[in-house]
Amino acid sequence: MTEGRTSLRLKVLALLVVAMFAALSTRLWYLQVLAAERFRREAQNNSVRLMELPAPRGRILDRNGTELVDSRLSLVVTVNRQELGDDPEGVLLRLSELLGVKVRVLADRLEDPRYYSYQPVPIAEDVPKRAWYEIAEHPEDFPGVEVVPTPVRRYPYGTLAAHVLGHIGPIDEEQLAEPRFAGYDRDDVVGRSGVEAVYERYLQGREGIVKVLVNAAGEPIRRLGERRPVEGADLVLSLDLGIQRLAEESLATGMQRARGVLDTDTGRYLRAGAGALVVEDPDTGRILALASSPSFNPRIFQGGLTTEEAERLEAPRAHQPLFDRATQGAYPPGSTFKPFVALAAMRHGIAAPGGYYPCPPTYTVPGDASGTVFRNWTSADLGTMSLTEALTRSCDTVFYAFGYDFWQLLPPAVQDLQRPASPDEEVLQRELRRFGFGSRPRLDLPSAAGGLVPGGGWKFHTFQDDWERIDPFNRCIAYWCPGDYVNMAIGQGYTLVTPLQLAMAYSAIANGGRLCQPRVALRVQRPTGPDSADVVRTFRPRCPRIRGYTPEQFAFMRRALATVPVSGTAAFAFRGFPFDRVSVAGKTGTAEVPPHQDYSWFAAMVPAQDPEYVIVALVEEGGHGSTTAAPIVRNVIEGLYGLPRSGFVPGGVTD
Amino acid sequence: MDLVAGRSIAAERRPIRHLDPVLLLVALLLSLVGLVMVYSATHQSLVALDLDPYTFVKRQALALALGTAGVAVVATLDYRLAKVYAGLVYAGLALLLVLVQTPLGVTTAGAQRWFELAGFQLTPSEFMKVGLIVMLAAMLSEVRRDELGLEDVVRATIVAALPMLLVFVQPDVGTTIVLAAILVGILVVAGARLRHLGLLALSALLLLFAAFRVGAVKEYQLARITAYLDPRNAPAAALYNREQAEIAIGSGGLTGRGFLRGTQTNLDFVPEQHTDFIFTVVGEEFGFVGSVTVLALFALLIWRAVRVAFLSKDLFGTYVAAGIASMFALQMFVNIGMVVGIMPITGIPLPFVSYGGSSLLANFLAVGLLLNVHMRRFT
Repeated sequence: MTEGRTSLRLKVLALLVVAMFAALSTRLWYLQVLAAERFRREAQNNSVRLMELPAPRGRILDRNGTELVDSRLSLVVTVNRQELGDDPEGVLLRLSELLGVKVRVLADRLEDPRYYSYQPVPIAEDVPKRAWYEIAEHPEDFPGVEVVPTPVRRYPYGTLAAHVLGHIGPIDEEQLAEPRFAGYDRDDVVGRSGVEAVYERYLQGREGIVKVLVNAAGEPIRRLGERRPVEGADLVLSLDLGIQRLAEESLATGMQRARGVLDTDTGRYLRAGAGALVVEDPDTGRILALASSPSFNPRIFQGGLTTEEAERLEAPRAHQPLFDRATQGAYPPGSTFKPFVALAAMRHGIAAPGGYYPCPPTYTVPGDASGTVFRNWTSADLGTMSLTEALTRSCDTVFYAFGYDFWQLLPPAVQDLQRPASPDEEVLQRELRRFGFGSRPRLDLPSAAGGLVPGGGWKFHTFQDDWERIDPFNRCIAYWCPGDYVNMAIGQGYTLVTPLQLAMAYSAIANGGRLCQPRVALRVQRPTGPDSADVVRTFRPRCPRIRGYTPEQFAFMRRALATVPVSGTAAFAFRGFPFDRVSVAGKTGTAEVPPHQDYSWFAAMVPAQDPEYVIVALVEEGGHGSTTAAPIVRNVIEGLYGLPRSGFVPGGVTD
Repeated sequence: MDLVAGRSIAAERRPIRHLDPVLLLVALLLSLVGLVMVYSATHQSLVALDLDPYTFVKRQALALALGTAGVAVVATLDYRLAKVYAGLVYAGLALLLVLVQTPLGVTTAGAQRWFELAGFQLTPSEFMKVGLIVMLAAMLSEVRRDELGLEDVVRATIVAALPMLLVFVQPDVGTTIVLAAILVGILVVAGARLRHLGLLALSALLLLFAAFRVGAVKEYQLARITAYLDPRNAPAAALYNREQAEIAIGSGGLTGRGFLRGTQTNLDFVPEQHTDFIFTVVGEEFGFVGSVTVLALFALLIWRAVRVAFLSKDLFGTYVAAGIASMFALQMFVNIGMVVGIMPITGIPLPFVSYGGSSLLANFLAVGLLLNVHMRRFT
């Protein structure tokens, strides 16, 4: 046994050891019992990574299954300027070698002002997989550099149907806040216009997520879980590639031809800078072609619009190519409005199919002290004519009288300009609204315009201030006066319609009185094979009947309009047309839009008796309806029925 | 009857009857824990490299077998023989420490620590720990006074300083600290005066300061120590080890995440995990319960060593046992302490548990000595 003192010293040593154990145990208690939860979480964060698997966006097909837009994944190199480290030049140099792109080009792209400094800037697209691996394997050589598989859109037909297809772009802050974009990430790409935006929820797939266990080097060890990406569904449009192409080419060529035509009113060549064309199936409301000129290539929006492209789009001579004139452009309808005024007049006993009406060169509202003269489009006195003739020859003075007759249906207090009429009291407007005018069509494209069917209430609201200011004694500045109805009866004045609305209304005439909801989408489907697909959703036609009209009245109207291309205002534009093979009912329109040149309209139904197609063309500053719009529609009809092309013969000066 | 009694007394006196089975068992248990932990820490990486997942375990098991054989050999010979040959062993090991600095030694990661011998690594500094214990015990047990004089302390310090210096320049700060702890432990038990120990501590501090000034301490060593003192200003790499080790230990919770289930362990987040950071495997996969169990085994081990010091028949045995107890206690405390974040990071293995053949072998030699002293306490 050890002697006393040594034993004591040993005990000191032992005590020290006891203190060591106490310290270690206490610390372990803290780490593993008290703070364990936090460390457990940190271990989790350390070793589990979530990787997104992008889901390709659905394709957009025409009604025959031809791809109008498809998607593929492109490897995009992005650089976060804030994470480049202390040797940005070195990083760019290495990237330049790897990608085979000049350093200068990369540096320029990096300076892109469209991105905030904290946002990763895309500097190269479609890089090879090899570059991806290289960058992923050497993160220390490429600080702030990432390769992101990004879905990109392909537009095999370029600008074709651009306004219908729309474009995609990065989601913005406002959208992120919307409930319908719940679950979207800041870096997601969404449809921003056209069907891309409207059918976003079908086209957008759902990103897959892989939960991966990674080691300290960030290398994936094994998959912990996976949510497979769901590809976006395909959208099948009612558009027909062939008809769309025909429509766009006809519009473009017709406009070009118009620019070689002298405008008799101004003595200058027609500008014909912009136009629209709608081809609709009147029985279903499905849109077969929707053209707006000028157009754009949706590709330029990929990854954000460059300043250069934005300037080009906004230049005055570009005529606002992003603006969809077919659905968003509202114009005075001119004489294309007359059939609807005539139908309203027939319904309210103002006109009858068998009636005869005088067509003098001028018209003055009875009892009008000011003696304001409303002129026909021709100074000739055409004598007395049937309702059919009044439509065929587009006699304005006949319709002026109809307009005044509608005035007389207003209550006395309204006629005495004591108060504006209520919408219900305005018979003509009420009838025009039944045909879809004045309200936004329930079209499956964003921002379709509703046009304007003006009335007493609207006029008072709009011009009340001007009235006080200009001439308090002239109540007609703010109140609806007979002259307003006179103008409205020929589609002038304040009335505005879009080409689409006109197509809808003519479709109602064509199908015997049903106002179809216009649609560009046919169905949503998921491909199951090269030639098969599961239909996710079908969009059925909705064509409610317009009340108060008889099928005979519409049949009469079709018969009446069928003479327009044969012997009426469009006869010159349709000369030589084989009516024995395809009958055409149509109506020209010449809208006065001072200070501009006249806007040219033509609306057609083919074949006249049981129409398959309703075609509406509008050319801004295209002159008379028969000059520009009618030849364009003729060319479309010739294309649709495989008839010999006559080649855009301008139709001379008619209404 | 007498004959029987005589034979019984003779039998009573046979050393093997006084073997301390607890001590041996605890050492073996800790080694087995080590094998399991080494497997957990290494199998994933080995599989990834397309190697046998048991590579490290097998080598460690071989060292364990050798160690057990070493215990038998050391326990059989009378420990007092060690006192006779202490000087020779000490000199021989010192020579090896010099030779390891020559091209005969192997350099890895800037340190020159071992010899390559038939595919095994022989680290002389590990054996020097035991060699120094025996040497100091032999020297100081010859002092026949109640307290040590200054000259005894100085002599002992010089004897310890030589291997400390040789190990320090390798560089191996951890082992240097262990050698210093052995010196202090034996000096305390041998009766060094408090003021002499204070003087020793002061000169050590001065020396350390001087070493910093002339740059003998490498930058990473400094970084590790400053990382401990002030985590916010520490270089990322020095902090990383600490953080990952703490996450591993802490995420184990009360009962651990289960054998081979620790993500920190299996995914290489903790560096040097099969050697210096082996305790993180225990902590992560077996939790507080496992950690405390291992601590308890160490407590048992050190208690048995201290007990041997008490029971020893002579001072030499007491000092040897005290030195060994100091060595185990300090290594255990510094190693686990650094893993749980209460001590700076220094490369000190956890006795019996950390992977490393030389360390395991040297530890078993120490156990052999303890058993020897214990067995012969009556002879």
